[in-house]
Amino acid sequence: MATCITAFGVFVKTTRQLIRLLSIQAAAIGLVELMFGFTNLLTGLGFEALIDFFATFAEWFSSAAISPLIIYWGMVKTENISDQPVVSARRSGILVIATSISNILLCILTSSFLPEKIRTLPFVALVFSLSVFITSTRVDPLKILVGLNMAENALYPLFAESPIVLVPFMLVLMIFVNVVGVFIITEAYRDYGTMSIRKWRSTD
Amino acid sequence: MEVDGLVYSLLPLLPLIVPFFIGILHLFIYPFRFMESSFKKIEKIALFSGTSLTLTTVIVMVPYILAGEVLEVPQLSLYVNSANIAGTVGVALIFFLTSIFNIKAERGGRLKSSMYNFFLLLFLCCMLGLLLSCDLFGIFLFVELTVGVSVILVAHNPSKLSTEAAFKYLIITAVSALFVLMGTLVVFILAGSSNLFTIISNPDMHTRLIENPHFLMLAVACFIIGLGADIGLVPFHGWLPDVFPGSTIIINGFFCAEPIALILTLYNLVYPFYRIFPSNVIIALMMGLGSISMVFGALLAYPQKNFYRMLAYCSIDEFGHAVFALSLLTSSMSFVAGQYYLVNSALMKTGMILSLGSVFFNSGTGNMDSLGGLFGKMKRTALSYIICVLSLTGVPPLSGFYAKWLLYNAAYDFVLPLGGIVAAVSTLILLVCISMISFIFLIRSFHRIFMGQSAESLEKVNEVHLAMWLPTAVVAAAAILLGLQPNILLGIISAS
Repeated sequence: MATCITAFGVFVKTTRQLIRLLSIQAAAIGLVELMFGFTNLLTGLGFEALIDFFATFAEWFSSAAISPLIIYWGMVKTENISDQPVVSARRSGILVIATSISNILLCILTSSFLPEKIRTLPFVALVFSLSVFITSTRVDPLKILVGLNMAENALYPLFAESPIVLVPFMLVLMIFVNVVGVFIITEAYRDYGTMSIRKWRSTD
Repeated sequence: MEVDGLVYSLLPLLPLIVPFFIGILHLFIYPFRFMESSFKKIEKIALFSGTSLTLTTVIVMVPYILAGEVLEVPQLSLYVNSANIAGTVGVALIFFLTSIFNIKAERGGRLKSSMYNFFLLLFLCCMLGLLLSCDLFGIFLFVELTVGVSVILVAHNPSKLSTEAAFKYLIITAVSALFVLMGTLVVFILAGSSNLFTIISNPDMHTRLIENPHFLMLAVACFIIGLGADIGLVPFHGWLPDVFPGSTIIINGFFCAEPIALILTLYNLVYPFYRIFPSNVIIALMMGLGSISMVFGALLAYPQKNFYRMLAYCSIDEFGHAVFALSLLTSSMSFVAGQYYLVNSALMKTGMILSLGSVFFNSGTGNMDSLGGLFGKMKRTALSYIICVLSLTGVPPLSGFYAKWLLYNAAYDFVLPLGGIVAAVSTLILLVCISMISFIFLIRSFHRIFMGQSAESLEKVNEVHLAMWLPTAVVAAAAILLGLQPNILLGIISAS
């Protein structure tokens, strides 16, 4: 589902729609881990399970609600741009399908020697590549920032294996980078009066 | 990266705590507007105090390292040994010198002075954290924080150029930080630990990593791509030529410290895995990026008219040299040559950038076609600039000569057993040719800026204030001193 949402993000026109997709994508990716933590909490009822659940919830909430809201705030301060990717919809479609097929093939080829703990790696690679595709085919800086967040969310299944002590630092950093991004975009919008990075360059 | 002779000490923590807490103190002033006017009087001295205290805490550790000790804070995976002390001193020294320059050169920008000081001190803390941390997650956190802080510092410049440059910088480096995270997660999942010392010393972890060579290589490739983009190596350099003209002259000075931390971090992330799984692909990847950056940087620096863009491409060339030297992993001289080259080139570039910053401060332009004849008006600045240029290009008896000499030796040692005498000599000829290109465009820049006829608009230009030329003079003096006594720096590095 998260892969489909990310792929759909390639074709979305307005910034508002893409921010909504980011929120849904983050919620979908994190939901599996969140449910897993919730089940552990119910069955184990241990303090460790509780901490684990709260850490997972904080991560999930941050990527599905706080980060999209920060970008949404940026959109409110600037404009809700409706534009197409720089690559035409047909070519984008071909590229998205080609990326997906190559990832499925890679998944089949590597499944025999893929260690258990990184079974999600082909999925991570697919969502990550689609997100980077969004980042590189847009001229609206807020959409580029959304693509960056989608790429970060893609790593979530791998990140779930990392030490719990890192979670607060990661959350602060994720929010910090988004705030910095929105700050720069609003400043640039004030300087250039447009939300197209192509026009930023041509007016220098 | 050796693990013998570990001594528990809190000293490695001090260089992180000092700038961080002084930075936090600045942050407390931010909400209290009534304190702003009184803070204005001490803001530059406060920054200078922060950087000088940090330099002191770093220098305090040097005698311990020279005595062969490895200082460690195991709880936080921080360590200082002969492999990172020279870089740490280099970073702290560059911040110290640039904060002196800042006293007269800073003219305000988008950030309030308390925030500006906070971010600068946080930036220093991140650089030192990158150098001192031996934990993969710690390194990632410092990389991500460095990206955020440096982007804000670029945007501090009130000019239009800065926001576009900052945004480009943010996107490229934030994506690259995700590559570092991916590499970190793959290694952590495979090895079961994120501490580089533990990974090196534990045979079980070696086995687990060697059992999955494809994924180990994937992780190393992620580190090289991720940090390569943060450093500004070709083909991930897109942000660098925009960031230099887009930042203030002072921020460019502070940024000179960044490659020391990032390139040594790249080495610290790659070398342990090369020791565990000595694949030639790792060498080929690093050497390829280094070589392309050298050639591309030198060739594109030549036609530039704006001296900041020229310095940006010159930086790519220099990063390429340092990464090339550090990629010769089978040569015993690789690390010494790479680190000496890196620290020396960062120092010399600081001297050059601050000198050209003084020119920009007085003339208001970075276009070399509009400049000329400044030698008579800015003699001290011009002398400092030419000494740094000559040192960077490897002219004896300056410090850069030894850097180039060590690099050529390491390259010769590496290529000789692989390709014979012809290949080894050809490599040296190629390296000398690249250095010649750097020499030509840098000397040409000196001629265009300082020699010839002065334009009418530059008639009133005078030598800058003592606080602005003193740091460049110190760097120029260091170039001469290290040229006559290279053992001062080599003594610290070569013990590793």
